[in-house]
Amino acid sequence: MISSSIGGNSRTNIKASRIFIYLILIIFAIYYLLPLYVMLVNSLKPLEEIRGGGMLNLPIVWSLDSWRSAWSSAQIGVDPSGLRPYFWNSISMVVPAVLLSTILGSLNGYVLTKWQFRGHGIVFGLLLLSCFIPFQIVLIPMAKLLGVFGLAGTTAGLVLVHLVYGVGFTTLFFRNYYSAFPTEIVKAAQIDGAGFFRIFWRILLPSSGPIIVVTVIWQFTNIWNDFLFGASFADFDSIPMTVALNNLVNSSTGVKEYNVHFAGAILAALPTLVVYIVSGRYFVRGLMAGAVKG
Amino acid sequence: MATVKITDLYKSYGSVEVLKGINLYIEDGGFLVLVGPSGCGKSTLLNTIAGLEEITGGDIEIGQNSVLGLHPSKRNIAMVFQSYALYPNMTVSQNIGFGMEMKGINKSEREIAVNKVAETLQISELLNRKPGQLSGGQRQRVAMGRAIVREPEVFLFDEPLSNLDAKLRIDMRTEIKRLHQRLGSTIIYVTHDQVEAMTLATKIAVLKDGCIQQFGTPYEIYNNPSNMFVANFMGAPAMNLIEGIVVKSNKDVEFEMKNNKGGVISLPIDGIKDIENYINKTVIFGIRPESINDLELSGKESNKNMVEKEVEIDVVEPAGSDTFAVVEFGGKQVVTRLNGNSIVSVGEKVKLTFNLSQAVFFDEKTEERIR
Repeated sequence: MISSSIGGNSRTNIKASRIFIYLILIIFAIYYLLPLYVMLVNSLKPLEEIRGGGMLNLPIVWSLDSWRSAWSSAQIGVDPSGLRPYFWNSISMVVPAVLLSTILGSLNGYVLTKWQFRGHGIVFGLLLLSCFIPFQIVLIPMAKLLGVFGLAGTTAGLVLVHLVYGVGFTTLFFRNYYSAFPTEIVKAAQIDGAGFFRIFWRILLPSSGPIIVVTVIWQFTNIWNDFLFGASFADFDSIPMTVALNNLVNSSTGVKEYNVHFAGAILAALPTLVVYIVSGRYFVRGLMAGAVKG
Repeated sequence: MATVKITDLYKSYGSVEVLKGINLYIEDGGFLVLVGPSGCGKSTLLNTIAGLEEITGGDIEIGQNSVLGLHPSKRNIAMVFQSYALYPNMTVSQNIGFGMEMKGINKSEREIAVNKVAETLQISELLNRKPGQLSGGQRQRVAMGRAIVREPEVFLFDEPLSNLDAKLRIDMRTEIKRLHQRLGSTIIYVTHDQVEAMTLATKIAVLKDGCIQQFGTPYEIYNNPSNMFVANFMGAPAMNLIEGIVVKSNKDVEFEMKNNKGGVISLPIDGIKDIENYINKTVIFGIRPESINDLELSGKESNKNMVEKEVEIDVVEPAGSDTFAVVEFGGKQVVTRLNGNSIVSVGEKVKLTFNLSQAVFFDEKTEERIR
């Protein structure tokens, strides 16, 4: 009897603490989701409804017009083109920049841990240093350099800038990951007759899932969200999404179309959101677990 | 199958010399064990034979051909690593077949070879698993399979058993010995475990600080250690080493040592030629635990080399088949190996027999054997 009543008590205690935890979590989730909610509902309202106040209200008239406008017809600077061309500008900048910096970073990490040469520590230190250089310092020298290469104002130029800036971080990620990767495995592969690239491609890379995901998320978010380099180095046909969004918000003549701005802002944030949702699932730890010791 | 000959091998990292002139020769089908404390250079030596590390000087020959400058995959060797070093992303059969895949051997041939090796090692049912799904012993087998399938002339083992638990280690030790007997291949095996060294080897090389201390058969290493390091390192429990003075009374040479109470114990020395040079000098007397026992002296054995001394038992460690007793002797804690059925108790005074034909003496300064 006694034991059962104690059991019942502790069970209700656990239940109460559970409810408390969930309550807190829900409150914070709402708190964080509120801005997104405001953006979403207001992007779906006609402009008059927004002007009438009631930011948190659901739309009376649901409409996708502002989304259409933000995507394909809103005034961006001098062109009534919507964000669409800039979206593709961003994609054609981000995808190669992310891929190249990830590949380069993984190769660097591989060499710095498994094929160490004299002075590898210094090389890594210098690469690491690039993570701490503020963007603003390199603006003018970089502009000069892009001019020399003939890449000023092009998407390729932006890819190069982001690649150079990203390699420090990607190298850091991969170096730390690979330094925990047993060197004996590389030796075993050498004895089996695999060469430098074969070992990388067949053994290290397939075991790098988690760190590739981390790197891609990090690089994609950073490059997509970059404003300064885009504003500084892009020309009309290479302006990225972030800069275009700024132009959209600033260049409205006459009335401020808040609903269009909200829709544009969500459009600009969407790709990073998608990357998180898709690759987050592959963010699996312990891929290496048990491969080495018992 | 091949001989391995190492001549004047030097290896240094910058200014640090790790291997200082190693000379070794292993006959075809021999089992060489490199043994020594950590940091003695034994794993480095193995890596240089495999070609995983460059050497600074000297030569390495496998089957009469120098392998200097040859890529590891071209040296006709296979290596088993301490951590097994299985490719984590590949299945067991891919792991075993990887070397052949690199050689460009087609899939069906690979499969036949892998299956054959898997059968001999009894891992056929594991072929489609990943290393992460295997136990320590199974991984060990896969690592050996990956080596065997290469059909190398020389197997290199780098402390292959040190990650296994005690029981499995003994099983796998037997397995490796059986493998050696079946394949008849040349094996070079690195370990810091002197029991492994004694049980497996046809030849042992004891290393310390990048130098070979002694190179010989397990019997030689155990019974005729060339210096104090080897004597102390090989054998468990270790050899007892006691300090004392060589004296000459009448015609007999004797070894005198002081015990804790200030008394003097003396033992006759016989058949050691150079000991005459050490009269009135300090030397180290070495005797293995099994040479001090409580067996009854039969008339036949009762000669000058069998000496009875009374000692006081300090600690008793029964081990089933034997009873190890620590006694105070010559001012030292001396381990003795008594009959497993002996009943001795702490503080008891017993008469033990010292078999001096097995005793060895070392120079106090050079720590070299006096022969």
